[in-house]
Amino acid sequence: MAKVLIAETSYLVRKGLVSLLEQTDGVTELKAAGHPDTIMQTLKEFSPDIILLNSAIQMPVSHDKLLSLLHDKARFIYIINTPLPQDSPANHISVFDTKNKLTEKLSLHLKQYESTEEKEETEELTPREKLILKHVALGYTNKEIATKLFISTHTVISHRKNITRKLDIKTVSGLTVYSLINGIIKMEDIQ
Amino acid sequence: MHISPNTKMSDLVQSDFELLAVLQRLKIPFGFKEKSIQTICREEGIDLNFFLNLARWYHERDFFPGETLMNHPVKWLVKYLRSTHSCYIEYHIPRIEEEIIRMESLDRSGGHNMQLMLKFFREYISEFTAHIQLEEEKIFPYILSLEENFEKETPAPEFLKTARGYTIKDFLDEHSDIEEKLVDLRNILLKYLAPPSDNCLFTNVLIEIFRLGNDLNDHTILEENVLIPQVIKMEKDFHNKFPR
Repeated sequence: MAKVLIAETSYLVRKGLVSLLEQTDGVTELKAAGHPDTIMQTLKEFSPDIILLNSAIQMPVSHDKLLSLLHDKARFIYIINTPLPQDSPANHISVFDTKNKLTEKLSLHLKQYESTEEKEETEELTPREKLILKHVALGYTNKEIATKLFISTHTVISHRKNITRKLDIKTVSGLTVYSLINGIIKMEDIQ
Repeated sequence: MHISPNTKMSDLVQSDFELLAVLQRLKIPFGFKEKSIQTICREEGIDLNFFLNLARWYHERDFFPGETLMNHPVKWLVKYLRSTHSCYIEYHIPRIEEEIIRMESLDRSGGHNMQLMLKFFREYISEFTAHIQLEEEKIFPYILSLEENFEKETPAPEFLKTARGYTIKDFLDEHSDIEEKLVDLRNILLKYLAPPSDNCLFTNVLIEIFRLGNDLNDHTILEENVLIPQVIKMEKDFHNKFPR
């Protein structure tokens, strides 16, 4: 199941895609934005899995920066304002595409998403992640955790990303509360 | 529904009661009778287009009238945002706090979960208050004097000094994200806590947190996509008009 953001300036195209995706399986949440600022804002807050971005939109930041705002599994599909050549990449759709063509392409992306996502949804925190979470909840910084557990800061950060994604909790105090509720740490530990 | 100047205010609210928040923040009194939006705006001294732009955005949610809103005097938006602040501080936040206190008092599970939630929310309140205080005491007054002095023949010397050493961009660095913690609270309540005895209360707290979250989101959009770009432009014009 995927959260989809439609980033398209044209009102007609945007509405058309919304109506198409509303009838498509595998879309859990759908948002649409037209203005680059609104797109940026929505990207940050909504954290979509799939972004349908019109390639003609001038975004205020570079493509790499855009990617860094998204989670690892997120992907872009580009909306092209001209007809597509025969051998166009799978992540290109055109405003000239027929409904069947569009549905086919979009379903393909959504399906790939579904299979990986469903497996992860049943995934609990791994023992390693629990250990990292425990340290985060106790107030250690990434660097301190890395030193204590003999791993690189980079590894700590990647574990933390996974923890946040699995639990849907971003802030340290939120993670602390979660850890307390679930007995990963005790009240006495933080007092 | 299409919102036009001749739409009756009462029809507007009936078609979308969430717009009551906009009316409240513009301090439009009730007792609409059969009056149109146009008439009420005139009576209350509110610019018709400013109202229409805001109401349409809140209602249709499709387009964001960033550039259109930027054409209005910045003091209107500041007034609106201030009104929103007091709504949060005086009403929404204390209400959610009270409800969590009630949940805690009804919690018979013997655990400390509700106590934890309360502690977490109180932490949030202090962060939130600090955030709003910064805006109310430092940023808004700066914006208002910027606009006021820009319109003058010669700006007040004191303000000129401030203006040359400060820019709204500094504020962006301090502008912390006030929604994250609230989202965390919501997710913890929704996903990781078994509801305590009073289910109705529990659901209501969640609904209120969702509402506040959405509202804060709109608030941030207005600040970051209208207010700040507008001020940046005004700063530029100001320095052009009064060069060193």
